[in-house]
Amino acid sequence: MSIAPLLNKVFMVDLIKGLKVTFKYQHPKEVYTEQYPLERPAIAERYRGLPRLNVNPETGETLCIACNLCATACPEHLIVVQSERNPATKRKEMTSFTLDISRCMFCGLCAEACSTDCLELSQDYEFALYSRDGFIIDRARMERGSEPTVYTR
Amino acid sequence: MTDSTKSGFYQETAGPDQTFLDANELVLNMGPQHPSTHGVLRVILRLDGEKVLGTECVIGYLHRGVEKIAENRTYTMFNPYVDRMDYVAAVSNGLGYCLAVEKLLNIEAPPRAAYIRVVLTELNRMASHQLWLGTHALDIGAMTPLFYTFRDREEILKIYEKYCGARLTTHAFRIGGTLYETYDGFEQDVNNFVKFVTPKIGEYEELLTTNRIWVERTKGVGVLSGKDCIDFGVTGPVLRAGGVKWDLRKAQPYSMYDKFDFEIPTGENGDTFDRYIVRIAEMRQSLRIIDQAVNSIPAGPIMAKVPKVMKPAVGEVYVSIEAPKGELGYFVVSDGSTQPYRVRVRPPSFVNLQALDKMVRGALVADVVAVIGTLDIVLGEVDR
Amino acid sequence: MLDYVTSYLHSSLTPGQAGNWLWALVYILVIFAGVSGIVIVMNWGERKALAHMQVRLGPMRVGPHGLMQPIADAIKLLTKEDIMPSEADKPIFWLAPVWVVMIAFSVFIVVPFGPTHAVTDMNIGILFMLGVSSLGVLGIVMAGWASNSHFPLMGALRSSAQMVSYEIAMGLAVVSAIVMTGLGGIGPYGIGSGAGSGTLSMIGIVQAQAQQHVWFIFKFFPVGLVAFFIFAVAMIAETNRAPFDLPEAESELVAGFHTEYSGLRWSLFMLGEYAGMVAVSSIAITLWLGGWLRPFPSTHGPAINIPFLWEHPEQGVVDFAFSFAPALVMLALAFFSFFNAMRMPKHPLLKIQTIGLYAFGLVLAGVGLILLAPPVRDRIQDIFWFVFKIACFMYLYIWYRATWPRYRFDQLMKVGWKVLLPLGLGVLLVTGIIGLGPEIAAWLKGVV
Repeated sequence: MSIAPLLNKVFMVDLIKGLKVTFKYQHPKEVYTEQYPLERPAIAERYRGLPRLNVNPETGETLCIACNLCATACPEHLIVVQSERNPATKRKEMTSFTLDISRCMFCGLCAEACSTDCLELSQDYEFALYSRDGFIIDRARMERGSEPTVYTR
Repeated sequence: MTDSTKSGFYQETAGPDQTFLDANELVLNMGPQHPSTHGVLRVILRLDGEKVLGTECVIGYLHRGVEKIAENRTYTMFNPYVDRMDYVAAVSNGLGYCLAVEKLLNIEAPPRAAYIRVVLTELNRMASHQLWLGTHALDIGAMTPLFYTFRDREEILKIYEKYCGARLTTHAFRIGGTLYETYDGFEQDVNNFVKFVTPKIGEYEELLTTNRIWVERTKGVGVLSGKDCIDFGVTGPVLRAGGVKWDLRKAQPYSMYDKFDFEIPTGENGDTFDRYIVRIAEMRQSLRIIDQAVNSIPAGPIMAKVPKVMKPAVGEVYVSIEAPKGELGYFVVSDGSTQPYRVRVRPPSFVNLQALDKMVRGALVADVVAVIGTLDIVLGEVDR
Repeated sequence: MLDYVTSYLHSSLTPGQAGNWLWALVYILVIFAGVSGIVIVMNWGERKALAHMQVRLGPMRVGPHGLMQPIADAIKLLTKEDIMPSEADKPIFWLAPVWVVMIAFSVFIVVPFGPTHAVTDMNIGILFMLGVSSLGVLGIVMAGWASNSHFPLMGALRSSAQMVSYEIAMGLAVVSAIVMTGLGGIGPYGIGSGAGSGTLSMIGIVQAQAQQHVWFIFKFFPVGLVAFFIFAVAMIAETNRAPFDLPEAESELVAGFHTEYSGLRWSLFMLGEYAGMVAVSSIAITLWLGGWLRPFPSTHGPAINIPFLWEHPEQGVVDFAFSFAPALVMLALAFFSFFNAMRMPKHPLLKIQTIGLYAFGLVLAGVGLILLAPPVRDRIQDIFWFVFKIACFMYLYIWYRATWPRYRFDQLMKVGWKVLLPLGLGVLLVTGIIGLGPEIAAWLKGVV
């Protein structure tokens, strides 16, 4: 063994090098933790969160044309769209739209399939619930969009 | 694996050279709830004191029938499911599946898509290796690298989130290319990441590479020579650590990997330390590829002409890619309908796990943990 | 009766030696409370320091910066369901944690926090400490055996083998320090045989360091340092801390010998472990780091005499300066609290926490101001320096845990038997040779 590695071993340079790294990181500015409810993470624009049904902002009418493409595209078959033909306009109109988000994997295939800009995965990520009942969401909830629970003391 | 009642697992050492010590064998059930079996792997250990006489892996606690699901989904619809096999390298899984179906459909992703795929896949290799390093170090008792690697992996996940909207199970690629165009500042984010993480890899090394405890715990532990690796079908960094220079990115370049300049790091002894060194070197090589790819993404379309309803001709393909953990193969059989007749996945973790018994026989309990860590298994992929 | 109480106050002996049972009881209670307090602070400090080394924050929610976390944990552990495995050996399972705590605290009988601040001073103090602290392994073995489960059993076996092996190296290092007490020259290389006291008493060892004007870590440099190093390694192994935490190696044996324990019993193990850490640290401090002595104990400087502030004509300006250290440390901590309270995010939910932190800072500042008062300042010196040294050791424990991987069992044995044991023998030999240098030289002259 040559002299340098021997000295390194005797004076435990290898161990001290590691100690230096951990010591350096004690500085408060190195802390990486986000204090979640106080600091909220910045959500990317393309984030695939809770699905949302868009409405025409001017008229408030839904953009859904009840084409059922999203229901067909869904790998888990979670979307059920019910529609009936409006005798006045001769167009299909969506009567109910349900989605089971308890099994949804947010793959975004439904939003891709949507032929209008109606179905979209929003940036909403806070939809934890205390019971499974609330996970089958309906049209009203999806049009309202994000409604995070506000906790109070 | 084998049925424990029939395999002779419990009688294996009974023989003329049996000593009185062998009578005190201890059967230890490690897992499925154990801190360091990396998920729900169950290893039944037959111990003589601390010495391991034999192991048996019991798998299937995370079986979800992914391959069967494929038979009931269209080609497009199955795409998100592959992310859930090796969930720490979801992008690589997606790439393999997309390449397989593209080959079946006889189309090729446009160059721009291929470059984006390379950037994301290499980022994914980084992420996977970082997660491996953190958990492996934790298994061996060093708590801190876990947090450093997770912190640095977070930057990759942020890039994913910005690119495709999901962090872990990304569903980033589509058959025929990619769905998402790069966002504004993608190149800059990736370049920043490369600049950010290069010194950090040095820090991991400072904590571990020369540390005498780390070296003692890993050198000569779980030796698997190159020949053994080939016999077991083990691939990936484990194979390369055994001295075999085999990397599918070089051997059968896919997705324009032949355009990039990188090296295949190899080890010599095939022990845990070599695998560690190889993976660290691979991280650096990945950064090299990312650096080349992200700064030369060509303009053009990101999606090939893909029929709306995919009905590949009757036939079968096998496409394999170099996933972070080894050769990830997809064998897709088409019967001409919209749904695959059969999708068989060759998961690297599953194949690599088979070498566990050979690697730990005669070692100590602590080595079992180290070897499970060094094999870099993900139970989602082992059980599928 | 009152005489009995007050008579001790003028004594310069420990209550045990003075035979004053009442004060001995008071000392026992104070030390028990003090060590428990150190354990509580250590619990919080370890989680915070470890977290910051790992770029985390650690406990932040219970009280400002998680200051109330140990209390919350204690309440949670005390109110947890008391689970005893049905196949466990119940009496032994019950006894094991009690045993561990009992042993861990018994050691403190002879730990000198000051020249008279010990329950008693035995003439075999250091032997008593080593002997009693090594009984702790019995509790661990009992726990592992009584659990009737594989992981605890393996943890217990590892623990017994580990403690037995490291005790030997530890003992050799200790003997080297004890030999030094008998070699009573002044200064690091002061060799004057027969001049030293040659004692096993904990207080005697510290007084020997004071008389020889050197901490034993610097005596016969680097012999004392090497002996201290051996002890420092062995004491980590003795207390089952990283990187020698094999008996409870969480990634291998789940939780080692206390896998089957929960709630109060588990917390007793933790209490025992941390008290044990304090105990072995105090041995190291007593033997090598000058016990209650301040740094540079023999440097007094020019004598000064300031009315009311400093009325010790026999002591100098350096003593005067050092006497402010306890108060300054407390005030620094108070300032740190205020600083952090000011840095708290302005959020309605954090209002109470911010106020709490200010209050905590005020308490610390108050303590600091009390420590400035001359009578308190004089009396707190010894205890302060001892506790300060313990705190440094505790930080080192945390730092090691954050940084290094864990040894494997055979490697642990290798370090113990093949590195530390020969090194310990060598140190002992060299200490003897240096110490008896004049005699050996004279003898050689006679032979030649």
